[in-house]
Amino acid sequence: MSDDSIKLPSYLDHPPEVAAYFAEVEKRKVVLSIEHLGREFEGAGAPLVALSDVNFKVRQREFISVIGPSGCGKSTLIRIVAGLEEPSSGIVAVDGVPVTGPGADRGMVFQNYTLFPWLTVRKNVLFGPKMKGLRDDKATQAADEWLKLVGLSDFSELYPSQLSGGMKQRVAIARALANDPRILLMDEPFGALDAQTRASMQTHLLRIWHAADVTVLFITHDLEEAIYLSDRIVVLGARPGRILEIIDVPVPRPRSLEQFLSGHFLATKKRLEELIHRCDSPLDEASELEHVG
Amino acid sequence: MSSPSKVASGVTGEPLGRLLGVRKPLSARARFWVGVLAFALPFLSWCAVSYVPFIWHPQVLVSNAGNTNIPGEYSYVAEGDRIDLDVFVMRNRELSAAHAALAQGVRVNPIYLQAPHEVARAMYTAFTTPPERAGDAWLHESLLQSCKVIFWGFLWSALFGVPLGVLCGTFPFFARLFEPFVDFVRYMPAPVFGALMVTMLGLADEPKIAIIFIGTFFQMVLIVSNTTRAVDASLLHAAQTLGANKWQLVWHVVVPGALPGLYRDMRILIGWAWTYLVVAELIGEKSGLSAFIYQQQRYRHFDNVYAAIVIIGVVGLCIDQLLAFLARYLFPWETGQTGLVRMMRAMRRAMPQRALVRT
Repeated sequence: MSDDSIKLPSYLDHPPEVAAYFAEVEKRKVVLSIEHLGREFEGAGAPLVALSDVNFKVRQREFISVIGPSGCGKSTLIRIVAGLEEPSSGIVAVDGVPVTGPGADRGMVFQNYTLFPWLTVRKNVLFGPKMKGLRDDKATQAADEWLKLVGLSDFSELYPSQLSGGMKQRVAIARALANDPRILLMDEPFGALDAQTRASMQTHLLRIWHAADVTVLFITHDLEEAIYLSDRIVVLGARPGRILEIIDVPVPRPRSLEQFLSGHFLATKKRLEELIHRCDSPLDEASELEHVG
Repeated sequence: MSSPSKVASGVTGEPLGRLLGVRKPLSARARFWVGVLAFALPFLSWCAVSYVPFIWHPQVLVSNAGNTNIPGEYSYVAEGDRIDLDVFVMRNRELSAAHAALAQGVRVNPIYLQAPHEVARAMYTAFTTPPERAGDAWLHESLLQSCKVIFWGFLWSALFGVPLGVLCGTFPFFARLFEPFVDFVRYMPAPVFGALMVTMLGLADEPKIAIIFIGTFFQMVLIVSNTTRAVDASLLHAAQTLGANKWQLVWHVVVPGALPGLYRDMRILIGWAWTYLVVAELIGEKSGLSAFIYQQQRYRHFDNVYAAIVIIGVVGLCIDQLLAFLARYLFPWETGQTGLVRMMRAMRRAMPQRALVRT
């Protein structure tokens, strides 16, 4: 930014309503706690440190984003929380109970949709309840409620292959939520969507988050997306993946698209850019190549 | 290459260019006619070789041997013989040198190349008139017998091969436990077990079914296990985050995920079963189409041999097309053919207690 740019407030200045909001959040129960989390991969020679000493807590109904350059281990982090990968050190606990593997208490939405192609939209949403052995009629009603919430009531009998990318991802969200998880994990869920679909999906997600009692851990590399959606943003640096800063987003709720040009929004974005670009060395092209899956 | 605007304006400058586009799908009409051509071309070539005299016809069917009292190197030529053209020419030289009556005949193809109409007639008579020798099998009996052997051989093979393959594709433990040995046995040609099977199982259908089993089972385990492994791992992850336990993963994700691929595998493998049939039926007491072919060949009734071969092809093609047709309705999520699903849904809706759930 040059000197003659508009004067931005500090991203640390919270408007009173935001300060009150965070004070209220502080009183809530901790749903997810991550303590001294580390993950190393066996590399050629020295082990590759993907995550090092990551600590943070997520409280009930909070919306937390994790952001960072590629190769910072954000996907590894969420997969460890989901129980799909094991940490090398440290503890992930949900409601105080350490995570030992995947479970229905941590619903996940993946970047590549992962809907079951052989099931209709409604049956996809019913998958979790069915695994729990819930009765058909009641579960079907609940599933239809979720489909209504994501705006896909009319598509419940279609197969995933007949849906657009944005619709598929809405089904994936409904499917995860229908299982009544303690926390919803989202691994770059809108990364494969075009810009317009992406924007509408973000607004959609906020609506769902408001309507449902759900805690969200959201992985993204899109700065504006993180600010628009989150209460707090965990910024990871690359190699080793570690927390650079946890930013309490000073943009008041309810969020709207006009806020993208507000001082608080821009100040936060500027700060994020500083943090991310600090670890953006030219060498990072190598890490792009390493970052597989 | 024609420019897009040209194509859009309907200028059909290069019909051949459109037919031979790199990875360019054919239009529905072109697909149909090229498919017809696939069978018409070999058939027309067969007709040409059979009916156009100058294309091949290397032999002569002697209708009149001429003066058979004239001695000579080729004096063995007799009426009704099929002899090579040069032999016929040499004999007539001998005869003309002696100023005797010449041999006469028509140019024909060798006995092993029968004309289409002869094969068609053979097929018709094989189904309509009793076999030459009492006790011999009718063609349709042979066909049924063959189908029976294939059916049981393939059924047993699938009954064991599919579950074992799915197990190997799901659990690396079982893959490591079974696949190396299966891989080892798979290289042994099934017919080498023929003598063993006859000793163990007798002369009737059992050893034949066993050969088909051996021929398809070991391949099937490996193919099924590979298809099972190809199920997208991220679907397994998604199911796990939805609370599926180990057996629910297998039953609700791995199996339905692999099913369309397994179905395709079975279509290919059933073709392999037919190739093993021919060897299988000749061990022990010969039976089925192979026995029919074997016997007709000994009588030198090559029209019947062709008839039987064509029937194997037709039956195979029919089975494959039937399976392909069914697949469209069995796996509506791949083909968009939801007719069967919609029908079942409508039937379910017609039942009163389900009507409440749907609103």
